[in-house]
Amino acid sequence: MVIHNILIGGKAGQGINKISEIITQVLTKYGYFIFNYRDYPSLIRGGHNFNVISVSDKKIGSNPTKFDFIIALDDNTVKIHKKQLNIAGSILNYKQFETLGRDSNIALVASLLKIFGIPKKEIISEVKKLKTKSSLNALEDGYNSQENKISLKKLNNNLKLMSGSEGIALGAKNSKLDFYIAYPMTPASGVMHELANSGNKPSLFQSENEIAVVNSALGCSFSGKSTMIGTSGGGFDLMAEGLSLQGQSEIPLTVYLAARPGPATGVPTYTAQSDLNIALRSGHGEFPRVVIAPGNSKECIEKTNEAIHLAEKFNTLSIVLSDKHIAESQFSFDTKIDPILKVPLNRKIPGKSIVRSNGYEHDANGNTIESAKLVEIGAKRRISNYKKIQKYCNKFQMVKIYGPKKSKNLVVGWGSTKSVILDSIKGLDVKFLQVLYLKPMSKEIKKYIESSKNVILVENNSTGQLGRAIREKTGIKIDNKILRYDGRPFNRDELKLKIEKMLK
Amino acid sequence: MKIDKLSTKNESTWCPGCPNFMILEAVKKSINNPKNYAIVAGIGCHGKMYDHLNLSGIYGLHGRPIPTALGIKLGNPNLKVIAFGGDGDTYSEGMSHFIHAFRYNADMTLIVHNNQSFSLTTGQSTPTTQQGYINGDSPKGEINTPLNPIKLALASGATFVARANAMDLNHTTSIIKKAIKHKGFSYVEIMQKCLIFNKDMNELDKIMYKIPDNKNLSNANKYADQWNYNSKKGKMPLGIIYQTREPTLFEKMKI
Repeated sequence: MVIHNILIGGKAGQGINKISEIITQVLTKYGYFIFNYRDYPSLIRGGHNFNVISVSDKKIGSNPTKFDFIIALDDNTVKIHKKQLNIAGSILNYKQFETLGRDSNIALVASLLKIFGIPKKEIISEVKKLKTKSSLNALEDGYNSQENKISLKKLNNNLKLMSGSEGIALGAKNSKLDFYIAYPMTPASGVMHELANSGNKPSLFQSENEIAVVNSALGCSFSGKSTMIGTSGGGFDLMAEGLSLQGQSEIPLTVYLAARPGPATGVPTYTAQSDLNIALRSGHGEFPRVVIAPGNSKECIEKTNEAIHLAEKFNTLSIVLSDKHIAESQFSFDTKIDPILKVPLNRKIPGKSIVRSNGYEHDANGNTIESAKLVEIGAKRRISNYKKIQKYCNKFQMVKIYGPKKSKNLVVGWGSTKSVILDSIKGLDVKFLQVLYLKPMSKEIKKYIESSKNVILVENNSTGQLGRAIREKTGIKIDNKILRYDGRPFNRDELKLKIEKMLK
Repeated sequence: MKIDKLSTKNESTWCPGCPNFMILEAVKKSINNPKNYAIVAGIGCHGKMYDHLNLSGIYGLHGRPIPTALGIKLGNPNLKVIAFGGDGDTYSEGMSHFIHAFRYNADMTLIVHNNQSFSLTTGQSTPTTQQGYINGDSPKGEINTPLNPIKLALASGATFVARANAMDLNHTTSIIKKAIKHKGFSYVEIMQKCLIFNKDMNELDKIMYKIPDNKNLSNANKYADQWNYNSKKGKMPLGIIYQTREPTLFEKMKI
């Protein structure tokens, strides 16, 4: 397996994403799998940003702690990351092309791709998209400055490179979503931006705050339009009362929740899986919901489609839960997505009939009631709807199992840790159980855990929120936990060592 | 109450003699082609409008009828949409929506039932309650002066601002009809007595007077200044305080 790891570092505004884009586009066309991780603080210009691109001939979905190449756009990058360079690694320094000014970026890209042995014309076609003549000269300078040291063979792979945000947006479009309503919040905004640039459907609206978002979405859905909203933890908290209104009024609603580390503002441009609890429980009263957590961009497409389908089919609340690591990282995939589920839009709609939706407890016609008997009937209706949802969800992949079938060692995880777990257990006697449906939860989970000798919970949070949900569902407490909660995702080499250590 | 096709069979839970019955009647008289309407109510005494109008609608959350109604309009611009709010609902819990609604100028109507009191929760002060009002939350009397929502609406770029008296059925009906007809966001404040709480403000009829429909902004501001919500002094103009034509949300969105 060929893997090359490249760190590109500099100040915000120096064009790190532009460089990454050229490299990843060229290498994707060349048939290589990419994983691109973005690390940046909450500021607009300055500071220290970096991307880590892993390039491989096999599927890859994580970043390591050590790099083979560092592209340094400033001195700080060398200072901070020098220690992380592999022994045989090299630094491509902006200083070499200082006279080129901003175009030094292009020279550095060309240097790297020359080392990889990529023909110049492949790079030119990407750089031409920038439409500046000087960048082509810079490309020439950079290309000529290096020797071809690693000859990457062109591979016959047809790959798609996509961020989680792009995946969610595509899932929404595949579902023929009518409306997406949001208020800006990192890391959820990527979906809004993606949809804004994709034609007329879905229509978009930016409300004055998240409370308006959720209430407008319920109004919009009530009028007969499939509607989705998006936010991160803080905005989701503001929506909580509206989620509860969804539960009582049973107006279909899909919510995209892209988590980041809290509490409060926390570490807004970094990652965490610390909002599973609110996804499962937010909103007063007792009412059904669906919570699905995709683990990469392909699953973002498929699970968003399932979430919208379920919301409409059962007049329920569907939550698609991701985090910054999925939303903003780019993943390659080579397989076709699951067949698109049709979203049933056959509700009675105002304008054609009298439709009454009520946030008070109500009878079947939406009329307010307070009698003990009818209150109980209302609660029973919600419980029975959830039972129907539970049964129906069995037709979807609620969990996925990977690794050697007979292994007695099991890693359990969800969401953004999926890819790094898969990369870490390669070559180990370990299976991986990915939980995609957090609510309802698959009965399979109990079976997999009970048939394993060593069970390890891996989560990107400090308390093991999936562990708690599994314990609630199955009564099984998973004691072996590998948790990371510094705002950063797991690195594959680090996680592998931890899993190995725990199995000894 | 007259039982007609706009009525429901729901038992009334308003107090006997509540001016909300008058507002309900005025709304019913203003509606043609009921199937084409959708209403949203917030929470409070006004919210029971939902129970008594046989129209499509959402009985929503306290403070949120405006965004909920806006959502219905976004989803189906062909519907006539009316949001009902109380003074606590609109000016306290949902104030941000109130201001932004004027900026969006979606083609819909907001009717605020203003009795200067959170009556359903036993009569606490709202943002339009007069200073000195003694209630469960303020045994020594409300310490703040009220805000003037008509002035705020004008400052926020409102394209239709009106005030009505719940007890004057015909005048209120004519104002609601004009509000529904208005192209853009129409805001009607209906002053109503509460027979149980904050009865001090129940003799405002004496200072009310009718004005001709007004399209001049500086006159509108003068009208808005004539009564400060704080006393039974001054003059309280009733009628279309301001109307103008600006692009609606859908004209701007081109949908």
